[in-house]
Amino acid sequence: MAIINQATKELQVKIVYYGPAKSGKTTNLEQVHANVQVPNASSKGKMTSLATSSDRTLFFDFFPLEAVAIKGFKTKFALFTVPGQVIYNATRQIVLRGVDGIVFVADSQYDKMEENIETFKHLEENLKTLNLNLDDIPYVMQYNKRDLPEVAPIEYLEFVLNNRQVQVPSFEASASQCEGVFETLNMITRMLLHKFLNDSVRK
Amino acid sequence: MSQFPQLNQEDVNHLNEVMTELLKKSEAHVALLVEKAGYLIHQCGNQESMDTTTFATLGSNAYNAVQFMAQLVNENNFTSMYQQGENFSTLMVNVDENSLLVIVFPTHLTVGSMKYYASPAARSLAERILAATNRAPGQGLDLSDLDPTDVQSLFQKKEPS
Repeated sequence: MAIINQATKELQVKIVYYGPAKSGKTTNLEQVHANVQVPNASSKGKMTSLATSSDRTLFFDFFPLEAVAIKGFKTKFALFTVPGQVIYNATRQIVLRGVDGIVFVADSQYDKMEENIETFKHLEENLKTLNLNLDDIPYVMQYNKRDLPEVAPIEYLEFVLNNRQVQVPSFEASASQCEGVFETLNMITRMLLHKFLNDSVRK
Repeated sequence: MSQFPQLNQEDVNHLNEVMTELLKKSEAHVALLVEKAGYLIHQCGNQESMDTTTFATLGSNAYNAVQFMAQLVNENNFTSMYQQGENFSTLMVNVDENSLLVIVFPTHLTVGSMKYYASPAARSLAERILAATNRAPGQGLDLSDLDPTDVQSLFQKKEPS
């Protein structure tokens, strides 16, 4: 859950990129890190990747990014990825702790559909183990790898992955070419700030 | 799981006092109060040479991972974690359900002495956090100035050079 520090006028939020193995979660973070405009160098932290020798995410990737989203408050976004491989499911639970917003990065290729569905189910289950409910957490879908030849149509992906009671915003992306990456990030940050706004009105 | 509370200036002053005292007594280099989701809450000491944000994130996740391991062998009494280095070592001590005290100290100091000084400090921090939780200052942010359309494109992509 977000940390609000009234004393230092800081808001800290955690966004986790979740999805099946090799769907492009790390690539999303790398593209944001490489291409984001920042007012000064200190607004963007170093990217830390805990990866295997073959560059597969072992624990998580992480990088902190600051912005002034709310007047008078410095907002620190902590961007994380989880490992995609099923054997690291316990690790995914650890990374999901305290999550505020989720980007589900799906692989658009036909032969990855089963993995997408299975990973989405794991996401819901992992949140439950943390006493969290996906319906209470802002999340967006990103259909990545649209530049590849054997990809499913968007309508089909929406039917398979975004067919819950409330449909969430979805984006086509080719993260390796930085297409759709910023659109996705901006939407999840917007949804998060909307949630804070609604919560503060309720209180 | 309860949430880490909002802190006011008095809380931060208290945390600072406790952690500064800990560093003075123990001769450690750096003390960090870290929320277990990876957020750095407060830091004291000689942190110029360290990326404390990343350190806090890695520390909390490492702690959570080892706690998970402990649970797999039905070990529920997991309150601290120690990493021994050549020049600097790290001790992570549980503060409460949501937070950790991370201490970086030179290796000529013993982990036993660190634990001796860290335990009362962790207790004092936990008491203050509990008081802040019970008080629940401010209940949310004043977002009256926020226009969500302003944050439609909070992050912009650099123009290709």
